[in-house]
Amino acid sequence: MTASTIKKTVKKPKQPMTNIRKKEARWGLAFLSPWMIGFLLFYLLPMLASFGFSLLRFNPAVPDESTFIAFSNWQRAIMVDREVRLSFIRTMHFAAISLPIGLGFALFLAIILNSKNVIGKTLYRTLFYMPSMIPLVATVLIWNGVLNEQTGWINMLIESLTGIQAVGTQGLRWLADPQLVYFAYTMFGLWGIGNAMIIFLAGLQGVPTELYEAAEIDGASWLTRLFRITIPMITAVIFYQLVLGVIGSLQYFLAPFVLTGGSGFPQGMTRFYMVYFYKQSFSFFNMGYGATLAWLMFIFALVLTIVLFGTAKYWVYYAAEERK
Amino acid sequence: MSDNILKRRKPMSRKARNRITAVLVTSLTLAILFVFLIPLMYGIVTALKTDAQFSQIGAPLWPATEAQFEYEGETYPVYRVPLEDRIRDMALVVKGRQESQFVDINNPQAGLITWEGSWRALDRDWQLDPQWQNFRVAWNTINFPRLLWNTVKYAAITTFGAVFSSALVAYGFARFRIPKKNVLFMLMLSTVILPGAVTLIPTYFVYLQIGWVGTWLPLMVPAFFSWGTNVFLIRQFIMSIPLDLDEAAMMDGASPLRIFFSIILPQSVPALTAVSLFHFFWAWNDYFNPLIYLVGHPEKFPITIGLTAFNNLYSGRTNLIQAASLISAVIPLIIFFFAQRIFMQGVVITGVEK
Amino acid sequence: MRKLLYLISILIIASMILTACGPVNNVPPLVDDPVVDDPVVEEPVVDEPVVDEPEVEEPEVEEPEVEEPEAPAEKVLVRWFVGLGAGSDEGTFEPQNAVVEEINASQDEFEIILEIVDNEVAYDTLATQIAAGNAPDIVGPVGIRGRDSFFGAWLDLEPMIEEFDYDLSDFDPALVDFYMVPEEGQLGIPFGIFPSFMIYNFDLFDEAGLNYPPAQYGEPYVMPDGTELEWNMDTLREVAMMMTVDVNGNDATMDGFDPENIVQFGFMNQWTDPRGIGTFFGAGSLLADDGETAQIPEPWQEAWKWTYDGWWTDWFIPNGPYGGADFLQGPGGPFSSGNLAMVHLHMWYVAPWALGDVGFDWDLGATPSYEGTITSKMHADTFSIPRGSSNPEAAFKALTFMLSEEFAPKLLQIYGGMPARLSLQDAFFDDYTDANFPGKTINWDVVVDSMEYADNPNHESWMPSFLETTDRYNEFWGMAANTPGLDMDAEIEALRQDLQDIFDAYFTLQN
Repeated sequence: MTASTIKKTVKKPKQPMTNIRKKEARWGLAFLSPWMIGFLLFYLLPMLASFGFSLLRFNPAVPDESTFIAFSNWQRAIMVDREVRLSFIRTMHFAAISLPIGLGFALFLAIILNSKNVIGKTLYRTLFYMPSMIPLVATVLIWNGVLNEQTGWINMLIESLTGIQAVGTQGLRWLADPQLVYFAYTMFGLWGIGNAMIIFLAGLQGVPTELYEAAEIDGASWLTRLFRITIPMITAVIFYQLVLGVIGSLQYFLAPFVLTGGSGFPQGMTRFYMVYFYKQSFSFFNMGYGATLAWLMFIFALVLTIVLFGTAKYWVYYAAEERK
Repeated sequence: MSDNILKRRKPMSRKARNRITAVLVTSLTLAILFVFLIPLMYGIVTALKTDAQFSQIGAPLWPATEAQFEYEGETYPVYRVPLEDRIRDMALVVKGRQESQFVDINNPQAGLITWEGSWRALDRDWQLDPQWQNFRVAWNTINFPRLLWNTVKYAAITTFGAVFSSALVAYGFARFRIPKKNVLFMLMLSTVILPGAVTLIPTYFVYLQIGWVGTWLPLMVPAFFSWGTNVFLIRQFIMSIPLDLDEAAMMDGASPLRIFFSIILPQSVPALTAVSLFHFFWAWNDYFNPLIYLVGHPEKFPITIGLTAFNNLYSGRTNLIQAASLISAVIPLIIFFFAQRIFMQGVVITGVEK
Repeated sequence: MRKLLYLISILIIASMILTACGPVNNVPPLVDDPVVDDPVVEEPVVDEPVVDEPEVEEPEVEEPEVEEPEAPAEKVLVRWFVGLGAGSDEGTFEPQNAVVEEINASQDEFEIILEIVDNEVAYDTLATQIAAGNAPDIVGPVGIRGRDSFFGAWLDLEPMIEEFDYDLSDFDPALVDFYMVPEEGQLGIPFGIFPSFMIYNFDLFDEAGLNYPPAQYGEPYVMPDGTELEWNMDTLREVAMMMTVDVNGNDATMDGFDPENIVQFGFMNQWTDPRGIGTFFGAGSLLADDGETAQIPEPWQEAWKWTYDGWWTDWFIPNGPYGGADFLQGPGGPFSSGNLAMVHLHMWYVAPWALGDVGFDWDLGATPSYEGTITSKMHADTFSIPRGSSNPEAAFKALTFMLSEEFAPKLLQIYGGMPARLSLQDAFFDDYTDANFPGKTINWDVVVDSMEYADNPNHESWMPSFLETTDRYNEFWGMAANTPGLDMDAEIEALRQDLQDIFDAYFTLQN
């Protein structure tokens, strides 16, 4: 699939470009030039090299012993290695839980923190953002602490509020129970929601206020306004969050790796695709095979992204469609 | 639905309704905020505890120390011991499984009193005692001024570079008809999609060859050549700005560069703020990149590397880690607090301009 | 159009200069890149140049850097990478720096540059450096585990030992052989040894009214009623259960004991892995003597089941859920929380920075026996030179300084190891006590005696697909520590089968 299928809103005229169009294209390229130069200087070579790795047996500890093995790594990843499929399914499973919750919660927060009805919202925004500022090392310690089944605050709170036995080895073992662990990780992810929140907040600033005023005169309810005005007007930002959310979910790695050291605990549930990639590359030093895994993921994510871009014309609203 | 019910009743004044909504929404926000901040409270409380409190059985959740009593030159913890008549505060001098020896802190002359039972089941006299000096210890243990200064520089310079260059590129992608633009855009996104870990070694190799390893250059220079996620986001925003204004300006003969500076940039202030914050905090928390390029140059380390010095192999001191982390979060917090006011102004700008 | 391109290129160049100047401003004259001498510093972002300088109160660190440009050409730079073992914790930074400066000042052939990387990321960092052709010159202190993770990356020191006529007579020949790896060569010269032993908490034993673990090998354990028991695993289990207490003060041998509310544990093999715990009962290897079959040695199976029961039925070892509980989070792990009576650990733990500032009294005791045999697993650290080093000769010279009678004791004081040099061993413990635990009497004799019972094969020795195998058994272990009610025999057999698969895959690739 090529990217040209993405956008067919404009039928391209077949006749040679006019001078004006040429000039426009040149201006455009000039604006793109920082990226193009940077791409050629800093990204292209490493990307190609990493693809080259996937054709090698390559141990970074003994780089001089690398051998060319053509597509053996690819064959192993696609046909032989069960863990590739399993870890991929886990990744999708987790994404299906965490991505909607994460995006929904961020949007919800942004909307209430943008509402003129909330008293003291600058403070709340800062407080909601604050956990994103806490360095990862400390975040992990905090979550290990609050989620601990014996002494964690969350279980104590649940037990004191509901009376259900939550504390102890018979209680809620957030990080050890395969049924709960994805929710624990989702909570962990929600804690860093601040970035998504500010992006939605920024998007909300672009909604023209007179639309609300008009709606209010028409007597539209809050929900109507939300679904008829707010959300349609920020689809461009929602689209961005969705694409990056999907990519981020596929690359999901850091939290499980830091919390479990990549052991996949419990019962391999947290051995996500990228955790497996990382272990192959940097724990087992099968860098060639790791590169193969990364490129497989890359191809999948790229196709998915292109598909998402293809859907954009049906639901994403841009005030400025391209000039005809 | 609730609207209908309200309408059927006596019409409430709009002001009153607004006030009720405000109270409801605010309390909902506060409730969510409370739950959301429980872990943070845990972190703060942890930062204020003594080393010993973590491992003390029966210690309260808040930072506290048990009352101590000095007896014959040694200090002992004070317990609430139920004697025949009443509960007395007594210092536990000799611990034992079946019986322990105490001394009455109000009457130490009476000497040791033997009490039968398990001292572990006794209450203690906990006193609120936040260890503010943990912050001082953390501050003094690692060189905060230098680490923070390095981080501020890294974050500020890369944010400036990455946001400005990304805005240029995003403008190019959003407003100009360029042959094969979609392919180029996907190529740009592919730098986001391909995991950085797989290009780590070749990237390091490239910087090694040009002699940049051991300097800030590999961390900063690429930022000036735009940044995939930023470009994408700013493009989304620019595409949400109606064309009328730039078309009008173009009619007046304004160059694209002028349009960029006088129309696009001012209209994108909320977006640029969001992207700047986003990038700033990303850089603020960046750990592995600085580590791998700056190893062996401790004078250049950012705060993240300094913080891991706490959480090392053999001596993790949780309270100090939390204290140090909170210190390192102060600057970004202040920046955020002030920067996000721009969102309020953003409403005004867009509201007026249209 | 041309104007625009011009403007953009100006912007790019300006930004590059800006970036280049940014970090450099802060650093004294030693400049890492030649591009910088542009005077155009007054860009907005960097407008406060060197405010930082006077605040840095560490002349020792800054000084040699400033001096460097003055005496540049002669000295060969030797990059010393620390992080695979001891030495990456904050308390050791300054002492290591001090030794490096002393070595640098003592000669004018080479200049050591210290690169300390946190253990968590040290493997990735070193791999990246080696793979990209920027290997450090010296790596260490590194144990067998760290070394074998980078199997094949080390230089055979034999030729240089001969070339420089390096004297190995001050080392136990067995220890020298320890670093002789078939087909790889002499990968290290003995530096520090870390025997293991029991460490116990005086206060907790006093409270319980129990006798301390035996201080010497061969001594029995004396129960409160006066009976003498052989100091073996059964005795340890019994004592440890008596030292495990619930919130009501009942111990794990009593009827009313509440395993849901334990507040003090009896024993733990702290900071080791299944191979280390297996070796507690007897030395062995996961690789059978035929060099290709996966096996779980008999004593290891017993050790694992003993531990599993200790987690879930005898309750004297903290299991997974308890391991994360607040009351076991001491500044130096569970033992230093003061709520764990005994641990079996290595010499590197007996250091103020490892143990933490603990409020209780402790001492060292003998390792118990299993079926009449005592096994005290041993760690031995060395420094190695990567094959990718650009200056192996200078590195070797630097190494000889670090291992010398003058500097090795100083480094060992930092890492807490016993000197491998026979001539240094006598004086070591006195100096070590004075420097780190002034005024305290520590039963060091048991440390020396423990060396007699070192594990052979070593519990960290090589196996096929070293890292993948390690990963697999650690996963098994984490699962067991968190799952009550397992059929351990079946799980162990499943593990053995998995290891066999990994080994088979390895040998298929090799052939």
